[in-house]
Amino acid sequence: MASVSANFVCSRTSVRLPNQLWQMITSKSLRLATVGWGRTPGFPRLSSSRFQISCAAKKETVDKVCEIVRKQLALPADKEITPQTTFTDLGADSLDTVEIVMGLEEEFDITVQEDNQDNISCIQEAADLIEQLVANKS
Amino acid sequence: MATKPTRREVLSLFRSLMRTAREFTDYNIREYTKRRTVDAFRHNRKLSDPAEVAAAFADGKSQLGVAKRQAVVYSLYAPSIKSVMEM
Repeated sequence: MASVSANFVCSRTSVRLPNQLWQMITSKSLRLATVGWGRTPGFPRLSSSRFQISCAAKKETVDKVCEIVRKQLALPADKEITPQTTFTDLGADSLDTVEIVMGLEEEFDITVQEDNQDNISCIQEAADLIEQLVANKS
Repeated sequence: MATKPTRREVLSLFRSLMRTAREFTDYNIREYTKRRTVDAFRHNRKLSDPAEVAAAFADGKSQLGVAKRQAVVYSLYAPSIKSVMEM
């Protein structure tokens, strides 16, 4: 079993990863998906629906969520937003949170249920929930 | 009189109003509904007297009823072309 980054495709034959590349893969916090070498017919599947090691949501989703949060809360451009920032950290109250969720619903064309809504406290969780709902919908 | 609504109920009302706003076919009314609910809820955020809170909540619920009915009526006469703001 080998870990590959989202942008990097290994052929089925055994390839020794150059040291540099290996460091790049392990040092950055990229989305990693484990790939079974022997199963698929020569082409490793990069879907993250099986194992999710580190962050489960795609980077684009997290970025879009950050964008919407930023716009909603009118944050200055230099304010740092990481996936772990909670909404209360950014000065949002519960009304703001509902508005943010509404914005997300509109952007991703999903419907968030009441009980799911209460669990969302940080950006990562929002992105995960969005991914899950989008996957369920399709 | 009505008892003080819980936090969940208030947020639920807010969410219902926003969802109903989305159903309007007219861009202007949609934006107005969203703007008005946000403004009204923020304005009443600091209310502490239970009677006042209950009154505001009841008012919000009746407005929700109005919005829902109007959304249905407006959808019967939906414009065929999109507003320029939506493009």
